[in-house]
Amino acid sequence: MSDIKERSPNQLLLFGIIGGLLGIYLTYLLPFAGDKIGGNPAILLRTIAPTFGALGAICAVMWGADAVRRVAKYGLGTGVPSIGQIAMGMGIIAAMFGLAIVKTIVLAGPIVALVTASIIGFIIGWFAQHVIKMKIPVMIRCMTEIAASGTIIIIGFSAAVAGNFEFANIVTLVFDNGVILAVFWVGAVAMLHPFNACLGPDEKQKRLLYLAGSTGAITMAIIGIAAIMTLGTSGILTLFIGIILWIVFYKKFWDEVYHDASSVVGTGLIPKTEA
Amino acid sequence: MVLDLTMSMAILALMGALATIAGCLEDLESDVGSQSNPNSQVQLAPQMGFLHRIFNKAISGEPISNGMSAVIGGTATTVLLSQQFYPLTAIVIGAFFGAIVLGIFATTSYAGRVASQTRFKQPLYMDIMRYTTPSIIGHNFIMNFCLVAIAYIQFEILGYPFTIPFLALIWGISVGAIGSSVGDVHYGGEREFQNREFGCGLNTALSGRIVRKAESGLRNSIDNVWFCAKFGGPATGIALGLTVFFSSWPTTIFGYTWKAIGVGVFIVIVLTLMNRLVELNVRHAYGPYKEEKNEQEAKA
Repeated sequence: MSDIKERSPNQLLLFGIIGGLLGIYLTYLLPFAGDKIGGNPAILLRTIAPTFGALGAICAVMWGADAVRRVAKYGLGTGVPSIGQIAMGMGIIAAMFGLAIVKTIVLAGPIVALVTASIIGFIIGWFAQHVIKMKIPVMIRCMTEIAASGTIIIIGFSAAVAGNFEFANIVTLVFDNGVILAVFWVGAVAMLHPFNACLGPDEKQKRLLYLAGSTGAITMAIIGIAAIMTLGTSGILTLFIGIILWIVFYKKFWDEVYHDASSVVGTGLIPKTEA
Repeated sequence: MVLDLTMSMAILALMGALATIAGCLEDLESDVGSQSNPNSQVQLAPQMGFLHRIFNKAISGEPISNGMSAVIGGTATTVLLSQQFYPLTAIVIGAFFGAIVLGIFATTSYAGRVASQTRFKQPLYMDIMRYTTPSIIGHNFIMNFCLVAIAYIQFEILGYPFTIPFLALIWGISVGAIGSSVGDVHYGGEREFQNREFGCGLNTALSGRIVRKAESGLRNSIDNVWFCAKFGGPATGIALGLTVFFSSWPTTIFGYTWKAIGVGVFIVIVLTLMNRLVELNVRHAYGPYKEEKNEQEAKA
């Protein structure tokens, strides 16, 4: 693991929370603003709004992937997939609790969910650190961050399928048709894959973050496909923006690979080594 | 939809056949990418000075990555079905989506892991990636097709209360778990570790000493899948096929009754006994692993 840190944990935390919540809230506020204006802009804003939920979720994927990286650096080789799953497990509980408990103040939902997730993550981290005694210094902080990013990923992608984050809406459009399982599972892989794929002594944060953007964008494209069923045109928009973002991040990831790899060859024999 | 006994047995046979193909292809797909068990050894090899030309597919454990491709296939199929596509077309296109996404993840994990081993001078072989990734996508596509088809049959014909993505995900996780447990045993004393004696385990000092040379030239992941197609893949396929068949057979014949539960318990007992017999037989045939002399010297 290289010690070069291009982005500090706090920077990524702010990026994930602000970007994620901004995207999630825009899915609600843009149609609201559109209704005030009325006419064609209203239709336009209503169409583009759900896409922002997925964009916010990509911010959270990048933040979560870095949190997974920091905690899994302590030698959790096979534990990386488990961390992705536990993130989504904590995330979905907190997300559903947060969105369901607010009856009249819909806007408070994501915040309540974020706080709940942080508390669950903190408790699980505290248990891992002090009861199971895993002795990983960053455990508590990282578990909190992982749970919080997991909840933003769930709400963001669900909002992209359901149109907004109202609980009744999400139950009808995301839960009943089973799309939540794609959100849950693919979201978890998007978060755990970057570190798992870049694991090794010369792992670099920049490459990992580009890969996190790429996996997040793939998830966005899949969510776009699901959103075609529920929202129509908005889904097509989400799908196309997801594919474009994927191409951009995938290209950047490969640029980093070409830069970092010892040698990139078309074909050839194994070089001779001392051993 | 209520079926008569002949029809429900036919459906059951179809599901068993689909599950057998899915299990077989899942194991081969994981072998072609050195996914589950060999992965850590392939990852470790360059650190021990053994550079190689073997694909390193570190998406995640098999249950998670197969669950991912299956749930994508199931979701895409549901979307296409809602747009009035023919079921077969919808399943094929949905399964293809899942396989493509898995292929993309596979390329990033190979490139990412090799790039993280710069200091050991492990080269990134682009030809390995160019012809292994389509093989991964192809194997995974067939697996996805079978699993989503099973999910479709359960949802539409047998009237299960769960949605297609849900059933596909469950089947994806199951096939990954069975491939990881059954397939690895047969992949086995593995093609990549064949210079080991039966039962000797893997000594830490031997970590990363994978077999890198094949019958002709350098070994790559396609050679591994050729080897595994003889036994590891079919064994996994039979395991999943029998799981599907035996778990559905009692309720198909006897309905949801206590009799069916009794038959199910009886099947479990018979299988447990058979397992024990096979184990005893193997122990008897191959005997315990004998310690070598130099190891005894090292102890003293």
